[in-house]
Amino acid sequence: MNLTALFNGQPDAIFGIGYMDPTEVGILCMGLLLVLVICGVRVVFAAGIVGLVGLVELIGWNGAASAVGQIPFSKSVSFVLGLLPMFILIGYLAFHAGMTKQLFAAARAWIGWVPGGLAVASVFAAAGFAAVSGASVATAAVFSRVAIPEMLEAGYNKRLAAGVVAAAGTLASLIPPSTILVIYAVIVEESVGALLLAGFLPGIFSAVVYAVIIVGWAMIKPDAGPAVKGIGWGERFRTLPGLLPIASVVVIIVSAVYGGWATPTEAGALGAFVVLVVAWMNGMRWPSLKAALMETSKLVVMIFSLIWGVLIFGRFLGFSGLPEAFATWILSFDTDPYLILGGILMGYVVLGMFMDAIGLLLLTLPVVYPAVMALNGGADVSAADSAFGLSGGQCSVWFGIIVVKMAEVCLITPPIGLNCFVVNGVRPDIPLTDVFKGIFLFFIADAATIVLLILFPQIITWLPDLMYG
Amino acid sequence: MAGVGTAGTHPGGAGGGSLLGKVSDQLAKLEDLLNIVAAITIFVLMLGTTISIACRISGFPIPGYLDISEQAIAIFAFFGAAYGQRLGAHIRMELVIGALPGRLRWMIEALATFLGFLLILVLIRYSWDFFLNAYLIGDSTVDIEFPTWPAKLLVPIAFSVWAARLALETVGYLRLSIWPSAVPVAVPLQLSPAEEAEREIREAGIAREEIEAVARTSGGASANSPDRKERGE
Repeated sequence: MNLTALFNGQPDAIFGIGYMDPTEVGILCMGLLLVLVICGVRVVFAAGIVGLVGLVELIGWNGAASAVGQIPFSKSVSFVLGLLPMFILIGYLAFHAGMTKQLFAAARAWIGWVPGGLAVASVFAAAGFAAVSGASVATAAVFSRVAIPEMLEAGYNKRLAAGVVAAAGTLASLIPPSTILVIYAVIVEESVGALLLAGFLPGIFSAVVYAVIIVGWAMIKPDAGPAVKGIGWGERFRTLPGLLPIASVVVIIVSAVYGGWATPTEAGALGAFVVLVVAWMNGMRWPSLKAALMETSKLVVMIFSLIWGVLIFGRFLGFSGLPEAFATWILSFDTDPYLILGGILMGYVVLGMFMDAIGLLLLTLPVVYPAVMALNGGADVSAADSAFGLSGGQCSVWFGIIVVKMAEVCLITPPIGLNCFVVNGVRPDIPLTDVFKGIFLFFIADAATIVLLILFPQIITWLPDLMYG
Repeated sequence: MAGVGTAGTHPGGAGGGSLLGKVSDQLAKLEDLLNIVAAITIFVLMLGTTISIACRISGFPIPGYLDISEQAIAIFAFFGAAYGQRLGAHIRMELVIGALPGRLRWMIEALATFLGFLLILVLIRYSWDFFLNAYLIGDSTVDIEFPTWPAKLLVPIAFSVWAARLALETVGYLRLSIWPSAVPVAVPLQLSPAEEAEREIREAGIAREEIEAVARTSGGASANSPDRKERGE
């Protein structure tokens, strides 16, 4: 009970829980949000309602309702968010551009000679396609059809073949264009360009770690993944044109942001245009284009709704002071900041088992992000004075990449592990249990990647630092 | 994307299901139309932005393109909301509610949808104020002073359709709470992870026959594959 608030006559008490410390209201509403989300209320409604109720409690009906009424428009209509439909459209068009087979052929020709060559080729081809399509789950579906038959024919271990395809789809989230990194940037008010650049190397790095794991597996058990022999240089170079569409999208976005010749949104539109041209040349016509646009629009409205819903909740959190209180509480642990960060990330592992990556990030970031920033030493801290050796801006980008990677790993963990269900769905001859067993090594690989990204943040910050200093 | 289901707006028998189905189908036409407008806007914006880059690089920037393209975001940010609602596109956590027994689950679904309906009502009312204020004071964009009220007006319009869909869905769930064994009408179908996977596979353009061929040639180990029960259609 907060007696001062009682005597100051706060304009609330509408819900009979008045005269509480704003932080207490914050905690209560956080609990309410959790209950609503568990009960299956759609995240936009749960966040919006709790945000509205909390604001009414803190600042009264008129102030709360008129603030909330402005948020959907003022938070959605911003040029930066024009990027989202472009990235998503690139993804839907990519499926019609018929790039998967050429990608796999190119990867097979260039890196098939290593032990476990076909599996390594699958990782890089799927990573490339996932990056452009932005669709982790759908990538797993497509590559189950393209890569698994060839691997099984070459005598590859079933679990390895299935695990590779299910895992490689998760690389979608880091390599540009990445929708989820844009969402992170919007929620924490960080530069979209910095995050897009920052994801590039960790995405490649993740793929390399996967490749190392496969080569190790194939060296210990040569029968599990024989190398591909007898591919000449001529054949290799003939596969290169197939890489052009995907390479051009990634190059357009990275070079536009890095070189500054276009904004990320413009680069996204240009990338979508390039993929459209390729798709059209490969036989896509109006019905497929219409379907791709309708799907894009559906996904876009879902993401926009989620963003403004969570920002309503975020507005309330700002008034409640809960993020500051949580940060203070986190700082009160007199222990190694890396240990605390580890604890926070473990929380994501648990939550990620039950929630979609985007929903998970949006719901947790308004509270967790300020705490991590405070843990590092605040938004304006210099690298030298900070806990993680990163300046405020660097820390913000670094945490974004780690947390997105974290959320994406959950696409391969039981009980939901949608990618695994998809592989089993396309290949009913590979039992679900085998897919989950096959994925285990890649899960370990992802854990190792995350630890390495934490210990060597330069992998993340190097590229954006070159650009933004 | 997890949590995306397909619509079940087929007319069913008990408890006024066929009437509800008819109303839902009519509303669906409007929702489809709005989503098509949103989809076209995305397409036009893609072409327009590509052209504007070309113009700018060749030294002839299109004046005010930025302002207008920014205001156009309102079209696809809101117009598809009801369409997405009908198809269950707005994400949520389905693990707990999916495991609940029939009647209890439908009651919670009804309540959850009704809460959404209330929120959208509040937003319609106060986004209308936001529009009216912009209209009255002549609010405009910075660069070419393009008025912002038309874009702001789209919010209450799109949300009104959304509210109508939410109201129908609430009725649909209430109907199921009373007659749990009735054919679901005007509510999004919920998919298990296995069904969700199936849908993603279809969307990636892989035909069912192809999968069955794989199952046949490999001796049909389908005992381990997730059950694909028919969806009562």
